Amino acid sequence: MRIIGAVLTALLWISLTSLKAEAFQYEGENGKLSLTGYLEGSAVYAFDGDTPRENPSEELGLELKASSASWLSIKIFLQAVDDGKVIDPKNKALFNQFDLIYQDKNPYVNINEAYLDIYTGKVDFRLGVQKFAWGRLDEISPTDILNTEDLTEGGTNDEIERKIGVPAMKMDVYSDLANVELGWIPVYVPYRLPQPDERWFPNVLKPPDVIKTNTLDIPVNTSYQDIDLPPVRLDNSELGVRVSKYIAGWDISCSYFTGYDPMPVMDAPVDLTVKLNNPLALDYEVNAKVTMVPEIHRMNVFGFDFTTTISSFTLRGEYAYFENQYFNRKLDTVLPQLVTTERQNEIFTEFIKAYLASGGKNNVQVFHIDPNVPIQEDSMKYGLGLDYIYGDTSVSMQCIQQFIPHYDESEPIYFNKDGLDTMLTFLFKQFFLQNTMEFNIRVAYGIEFQDFIVKPSLKYNFTDNLQGTIGAILIGGKYDDSLFGQFNDNNEMFAKLRCAF
Amino acid sequence: MRFEYSGYAIIVFLALSLTYATSVQSAEMTAYQIVKKSEDLLDQAKDSKADMLMILVNNKGEKRERNLNAFVKRYGNNKSKSIVFFNSPADVKGTSFLVWTNELKEDKQWLYLPALQRVRQISASGKGESFMGTELTFFDMGSQDVDDYTYNLIKDETVKGDLCYVIEATPKKVEFYSKVILWIRKGNFIPSKADFYDTKGQYQKQGIFENVKNIKGINTPTHIEMHNVQNGRATIIDLSNIVYDSGLKEDIFTERYMTRGN
Repeated sequence: MRIIGAVLTALLWISLTSLKAEAFQYEGENGKLSLTGYLEGSAVYAFDGDTPRENPSEELGLELKASSASWLSIKIFLQAVDDGKVIDPKNKALFNQFDLIYQDKNPYVNINEAYLDIYTGKVDFRLGVQKFAWGRLDEISPTDILNTEDLTEGGTNDEIERKIGVPAMKMDVYSDLANVELGWIPVYVPYRLPQPDERWFPNVLKPPDVIKTNTLDIPVNTSYQDIDLPPVRLDNSELGVRVSKYIAGWDISCSYFTGYDPMPVMDAPVDLTVKLNNPLALDYEVNAKVTMVPEIHRMNVFGFDFTTTISSFTLRGEYAYFENQYFNRKLDTVLPQLVTTERQNEIFTEFIKAYLASGGKNNVQVFHIDPNVPIQEDSMKYGLGLDYIYGDTSVSMQCIQQFIPHYDESEPIYFNKDGLDTMLTFLFKQFFLQNTMEFNIRVAYGIEFQDFIVKPSLKYNFTDNLQGTIGAILIGGKYDDSLFGQFNDNNEMFAKLRCAF
Repeated sequence: MRFEYSGYAIIVFLALSLTYATSVQSAEMTAYQIVKKSEDLLDQAKDSKADMLMILVNNKGEKRERNLNAFVKRYGNNKSKSIVFFNSPADVKGTSFLVWTNELKEDKQWLYLPALQRVRQISASGKGESFMGTELTFFDMGSQDVDDYTYNLIKDETVKGDLCYVIEATPKKVEFYSKVILWIRKGNFIPSKADFYDTKGQYQKQGIFENVKNIKGINTPTHIEMHNVQNGRATIIDLSNIVYDSGLKEDIFTERYMTRGN
């Protein structure tokens, strides 16, 4: 397994020491062909010693583009990755698979995008593995839900890196009246998560180690099941339509999507194992086995977005209404409700009945409980962004809010407090030295949960092809089950070196 | 993220604008008339396209290259549309920048970044700022009104074999430069060079316009340099494959082509 990693490391070393790599380009009467790419090495230093370590990683990206005529072109973008985050890779497949959540293997090849473009007079088609880009807000775009996300880095990496290319057909129709984009995704591609024992696995998908009740503490053993996808049928496919128009200085769009929620939603069925150790003393032993089972639910999303300029500012806005969306209820409130004193008494009564009926042989019994963790709530998400650019300096601010109109306080969900979640984001960028150096700081702060992420970075272009980046990811929060707070212990510094060719 | 690219676009726009000069017969003219004549010649072609190599030179003499394709279409009354595609280096490849210029309203600008896969309408300020590390400012690139300056014809002088008018242009309101000395070729009214003085009256930078080629009857400087004597940096622009009046389609100046590339 380390062979590919070693080869990649060697390639990286060669390219860095030669400091010159050439892309392949051909342009002739019959068309154009180009092969470009990059080689990137990165290392992470985690501040918290009790989180799993990451090994240095390498990544080779290759992009092949070909066009045989003005109406046809092909793009294939592959990434070969020796991922330093994986602890115990079990999946032996070389390519990332389109039907699995837990496939964080090492090394692997990812089909980032691979599609065919066909251009006609007023209609363009794109067929193949592709990424859509809807909406106007940065990083958190409510209407941009046609692609699921790779969350193996906890969602801390850039939006375009998180997006998973999905097999789809896209059609763009251009007219004076409006531009229409139609996306059809025949097969749902699930989001990706790291292995549960990796450092970026979401804390909120980890049940507590012990369920504490008034009468006893129940140890919990958790397992994670991969997704069970719906059969490939037309009615299980996903569809999105976006209509865009430029009117008097305003870029506006309306969109509609029907398909599956791209974010993780999981049920947590529990098998309670009750063992009678001593019938005379009524000495019971109870254990819980929780299985985290991914669920997918169809929903409808109605969206609207705009961009315009006002004086020296760019104003952006976006709104989306989610019909039939599901949310994860908080496990630490759901699980204790399953084993209330009343419920325990019922279970023990059932146990005794079965035990006596078996003549004292059936002293170990399993009780299956389905807590129905996901809860259905219609919701809306909206936000405004303001950008200001002055020379080599740019500042961008956003306020994004999620509102659940019929929020039930008795059934709390993650990442939302009393039906509201407000996030403020801030981006500052400054170029230096003829734009060969870039300082960048990105901040997001959740008002209700008082959690935050800060990502400063400094990038320098040693040459046109060689770029180095150092940076940090700093995360904090009052609660360990908030969006950022769940990664409280994951502060890190990183360094990257990228050679493009 | 935004300005780095928009700067290139404006350079291209400037460079192509400067190519709209043609051979004329000079007579006895005032300094104002000479500059006005030079400006009037900017609207010769209805559209143009060109490939562009831009070299940024730092104060150690180290060079960085950028390759672009630029397209410009003019509609009269100072209305125009321009689009620029970036081919290299790798980190900006696929980026495109679109500008719709309207004399009566503020310009509209859109930027497409492949990394975001989104076209974004943008606004920019800081006219006196350098962009993209070039030695040109947004003010340099923007359309400036001839009537904002007073002109004084100083003398005639030969620059690299070309006899030039030497004209001192002084802004009526000092914002970015205290004065500009222009060398305008007598033969074709194409600027040969220009010296810029900062607001403190210090010599700041020199622009050079060379390698004039006759393309479709239009004399075109294809090599442009801007040397900043204060920081020791320079920007060099070489234009090639220049085509005028090819009948560029309206479609090119749309979001569709921004994302599709050239």
